[in-house]
Amino acid sequence: MSTLTYRDAVGKALQDSMRDESKLILIGQNLTAHSLKTLAEEFGERRIRDTSVSESAMVGMAVGAAMKGWKVVVMIAYADIASVCHKAIVQSAAKLHYLTGGRLQCPVVIRLPIARFRGHGPMGNEVAASWFYNVPDLNIAMPGSADEAYWNFREALRRQTPTLFFEDRSIHDRAGEIAMKNSAGKARITRSGNRLTIIAAGRAAALAEDAADQLAKEGSRDALEVVSLGFIKPLDRETIFGAARKTGRVLIIQDEPPWSGYAPYIRCLLDELPPSSFAIAPRIISGADEYLPYWDERPFLPSVEGVVAAVKELLK
Amino acid sequence: MNVEAGLEWRLYKYMLVTRLFEEACIRWEHEGKMSAQVFPSRGQEAIAVGACLAMEKGDTVIPSFRTRGAMVAMGISLVEQLREIMHSPLAAGGSRDAPHHSSWPERGVMPGSTMIGGHLAMAGGLALAMQLEGQGQVSLAFFGDGTLGSGDLYETMHIAGTWSLPLVLVCENNGWEMATPWPKVRKQRALAPYAAPFGFATREVDGNDPWDIYHAARWARATAVGGQPVFLDCITFRSGTYSSHFGETRPGIEKEIAEWEERDPLKRMAGWLIDHGLASAQDFERAREDEEQRIQKAFRQVIAEIKGI
Repeated sequence: MSTLTYRDAVGKALQDSMRDESKLILIGQNLTAHSLKTLAEEFGERRIRDTSVSESAMVGMAVGAAMKGWKVVVMIAYADIASVCHKAIVQSAAKLHYLTGGRLQCPVVIRLPIARFRGHGPMGNEVAASWFYNVPDLNIAMPGSADEAYWNFREALRRQTPTLFFEDRSIHDRAGEIAMKNSAGKARITRSGNRLTIIAAGRAAALAEDAADQLAKEGSRDALEVVSLGFIKPLDRETIFGAARKTGRVLIIQDEPPWSGYAPYIRCLLDELPPSSFAIAPRIISGADEYLPYWDERPFLPSVEGVVAAVKELLK
Repeated sequence: MNVEAGLEWRLYKYMLVTRLFEEACIRWEHEGKMSAQVFPSRGQEAIAVGACLAMEKGDTVIPSFRTRGAMVAMGISLVEQLREIMHSPLAAGGSRDAPHHSSWPERGVMPGSTMIGGHLAMAGGLALAMQLEGQGQVSLAFFGDGTLGSGDLYETMHIAGTWSLPLVLVCENNGWEMATPWPKVRKQRALAPYAAPFGFATREVDGNDPWDIYHAARWARATAVGGQPVFLDCITFRSGTYSSHFGETRPGIEKEIAEWEERDPLKRMAGWLIDHGLASAQDFERAREDEEQRIQKAFRQVIAEIKGI
């Protein structure tokens, strides 16, 4: 298609979705006067709707509109605010399809930008995805590239159950080619290698790619196989297992604390493979089990340097 | 469901069916024949029945806990309701949702929420879709007065008022939050004053008078279609227990129950029908016998479905 930044890929996904789907509306704060001004000029305030800070009702209303066959994108200012509308996400949106025996669908996308490294403090720098990991029927997208940002968004609007779209602002300027075709939520191999497999999503996947590039510069070309998950729920088991088997060494990186989320889950999932598949036991690098101070979040989170060091250790 | 000949009788009959059906369900539960918790609407049946009979084709309703009459008045048969309650293989929703939230979306009965107030936002979303579609439909939701404490009520009123959504909120204001009388948990009994500043048209309604509710709901429907959401504050009293899992939780309530029995909506509607020469004591007796038989028949049918007979 074309090369876009991650930021513009999300914007294009919104625009293309609005063009393709006449029964799609967007709800959020400061949309028509600020963040989606251009889109509002094209589609009008009938379909792009400003509210004040009523996130719980915004999500609940999206579910109600979905009952009448509408698709809705709820624009939440940043991921931490998922706590404000947790009830509506879990009880109203995620359960609708189940509770009605599939007679009602809920193609609602809740856009939750991760707002780290911008001085928001501990109530504005959470990822928040792992909070929702045990909610059946809830899709969770965590794109790590422009291509994933575009296609995961498009894919989410085609699903019968809601999607949390965790878009990471810290990688907004990363540019990449947008594929011509939707890979329907499949994980992507973004770096091909044969000595160690890194499995990650979002910013962590971008870190893994940077680590692979750094190792290549240092002479270890083709060392790292990187799996960018795209959707962290449901998971693309086939790609995960294939990439794990390929190298026999697995490192999973998660940009949140380690208690729950895709990292510990995939670590358990890998136990389904025969022990002989692995040269070493799969490992996890995660965020610290602490809140992140506003003055500097980086010491508590995975980094390229940390990943490179861990890879070198595991390849010894 | 527009005004048509026989509306008077349907107001009476649907309230009767609701009461007898709930009594039967409680009996069956206590006899161990089913496990459903029932939230009896005894004394409040007029609200759900009167409001739903005022709706029209394409309108949607989200029931609350004590609104079995909404399903009855929206035309969901007792067999269909029992299928959900008893987990018949023919249950349309597969008996997944709690029986008071059972839904028949294609017929306008939408799923509610156990999260008090959460369903009001969904009703607002239905109203938004209706406004976008411009077909002159309205979205109605029921809730108890305890919902005044829920943030979703305010958020929904805030948005619905701003956007002029075709939304009708119907409060069953019975003055009790389970075992707690309203003065312990809020400042004033009437709730309409809370809704007006959000842009809602409001009306206080005699929640035990089926005609008052029906006419208020017709007005509400027209007002909502015309571009202003409506809040109906239906003052009533819960004559039954909080649910079939509890005995009476309101000590010293006997006198109040006796007083409100005089205002019982079934008695009042029967009195109105007699006064207007439209029915006799015999008619009521026959209706009661017929409906009790129909309820037993529905129960037998669903048991047979479950047993695969």
